[in-house]
Amino acid sequence: MELLQQLGTGFAVALQPGNLLYCFLGVFVGTLVGVLPGIGPVGAMSLLFPVTFKATPEAAIIMLAGIYYGAMYGGSTTSILVNIPGEAASVVTCLDGYQMARQGRAGPALGMAALGSFVGGTAAIAGLMLLAPPLSRFALRFGPPEYFSLMVLGLTILIYLAHGSMAKALLTAALGLVLGLVGLDSITAQPRLTFDRLELVDGIGLVPVVMGLFGVAEVLLNVERTLRREVFRTSIRGLLPTARDWVESRWAIVRGSLVGFFLGILPGGGAVIASFLSYALEKRLSRHPERFGRGAIEGVAAPESANNAATGGAFIPLMTLGVPPNVIMALLLGAFMVHGVQPGPLLMKQNPGLFWGVIASMYIGNLMLLVLNLPLIGIWVQVLRVPYRILFPLILLFCLIGVYSVANTVFDVYVMIVFGVVGWLMKKLEYEPAPLVLAFVLGPLLENNLRKSLILSQGQFAIFVTRPISAVCLLLAGLLLVSPLLPALGRRRQALAVEEAS
Amino acid sequence: MDRGDVLSALVWLLIGAGVARAGLDLGLGVLRDPGPGFMLFWVGLVIVALAVAVGGRGLRAGAPPGTRWAGVRWTKLAGVTAALAAYGWLLPRLGFLLSTALLLIYLFKAIEPQRWSVAVAGAVASALLAYLVFKVWLGAQLPAGALGIG
Repeated sequence: MELLQQLGTGFAVALQPGNLLYCFLGVFVGTLVGVLPGIGPVGAMSLLFPVTFKATPEAAIIMLAGIYYGAMYGGSTTSILVNIPGEAASVVTCLDGYQMARQGRAGPALGMAALGSFVGGTAAIAGLMLLAPPLSRFALRFGPPEYFSLMVLGLTILIYLAHGSMAKALLTAALGLVLGLVGLDSITAQPRLTFDRLELVDGIGLVPVVMGLFGVAEVLLNVERTLRREVFRTSIRGLLPTARDWVESRWAIVRGSLVGFFLGILPGGGAVIASFLSYALEKRLSRHPERFGRGAIEGVAAPESANNAATGGAFIPLMTLGVPPNVIMALLLGAFMVHGVQPGPLLMKQNPGLFWGVIASMYIGNLMLLVLNLPLIGIWVQVLRVPYRILFPLILLFCLIGVYSVANTVFDVYVMIVFGVVGWLMKKLEYEPAPLVLAFVLGPLLENNLRKSLILSQGQFAIFVTRPISAVCLLLAGLLLVSPLLPALGRRRQALAVEEAS
Repeated sequence: MDRGDVLSALVWLLIGAGVARAGLDLGLGVLRDPGPGFMLFWVGLVIVALAVAVGGRGLRAGAPPGTRWAGVRWTKLAGVTAALAAYGWLLPRLGFLLSTALLLIYLFKAIEPQRWSVAVAGAVASALLAYLVFKVWLGAQLPAGALGIG
């Protein structure tokens, strides 16, 4: 009963005209960047980050969240029609989605992707609503050592799942930590690594770093060689899947939603891994696994339900613990902080309107996305036909405006360019940018909790292993770090990393 | 030998040493009360150790398949980067509208060549539209420049 009352409060917030507009803007932009290869949800969220400065905290978070889950819907369109994933979590949808399009079944593939996304997304919101309150109460038992260890675990999982060399992923995470510490020390107010530049006293901005690594670097990668893509020319009709399609997909959707939701909660996990694992699970459970890769509709339904469910799950650690589990949630944490709101166990008590408003807006956003991605699918197919030579100058322009308008300084533009080149080099030399960004955001929090823990314990590192939650987190992190030395675990990591990289 | 890994390890080595040194200069404090350089120092040392590991493996590894740098259109890449840097320099001087139009004309024309009419019309229209959306509608503080037309 209390839950329904709180949800009612949420809908009262989410249904305010201004918030509805921001929600629509978020899911619209999300679908757009999902459809367009070359800019992902991270880039789009940083781009619209400054737009939220003038909005209320509710509107800002509602819009940024909308971009995230909207991109999961849009990503499937390019996978199905072009065989190029609009964003990483839709890679696996290419396998069967594109084959369905080639067989003249693009309509049901797109329809099932949208409907599966809707079911997965909505189920995850219900899970978030049910799990967040008890987890928030549990999180009240967390002190500085627990927070420190949890952040170490989150970073370690992301490093573990990074494709390629783990040492390289650790290096980028370490660089992220250092960059996050630039600026005034939070305890002594001493400037660190500022090189006497006034612009660095407040630290390096999150937006220029993210836009550089994910926006400019991506454009540079596409510009360095000629990119060709052809939209599969087929008439899209009969978007609603047939009764047989439903029968074949119903359990794939249920399992995909569950896998996605729980993987989304895990720090370092997320939509990409969820989509791959749910696809692998369906293939393993199927009585006709040979159909997969040749246009099996379950191969579209499962990953699309999973990647949307993962977006809902990912909100749990951020909203209840204040710890972002992935890069996108790290950006959202930045948005919370800009608006003077601290996500964590007290968020639900101190800002019930914001907490429940965001949850309610996700129900509304999912409905909007259903409309945007079913009857209006034609618009996105047209968008896909915009050639990259027209698109990339505009992507760069949006990056420049977005970065400049955060602090109205050209310095940030230069920071973005530098990180764009660094990001391009990192891609070429097989260094993952995601651990850098998460460590960059977590760096100051990590240091703060480390120093507080040491002050609390009078300099005894034992505080991290004598407290059970902290000990478990560190034990898991330690196991993951030494895993490449253990053959069985090492092979598992390679398999997961290769899946994600492909 | 994987030259990319060895060279990048050298860069990491320099970064790690620099960060550790900066940490030392800032002061490590004591364990009961760690100083502002404590974390930087240790992270710097970790970077050094990892750089040695990556560099060592790069030295032992065979040359990677020649696809990493093959076919890279260096002039296009340098062109885009230089254009962005020039935009940063021009923005406060010429203002948003003019510098944006110039940047877009260059990007439309130089990277994947198009007709002048398309490049100029597209650039001007995009700059104007961005101005209307970001400055007029969203109230972003975009610079007007010395000419006062942005």
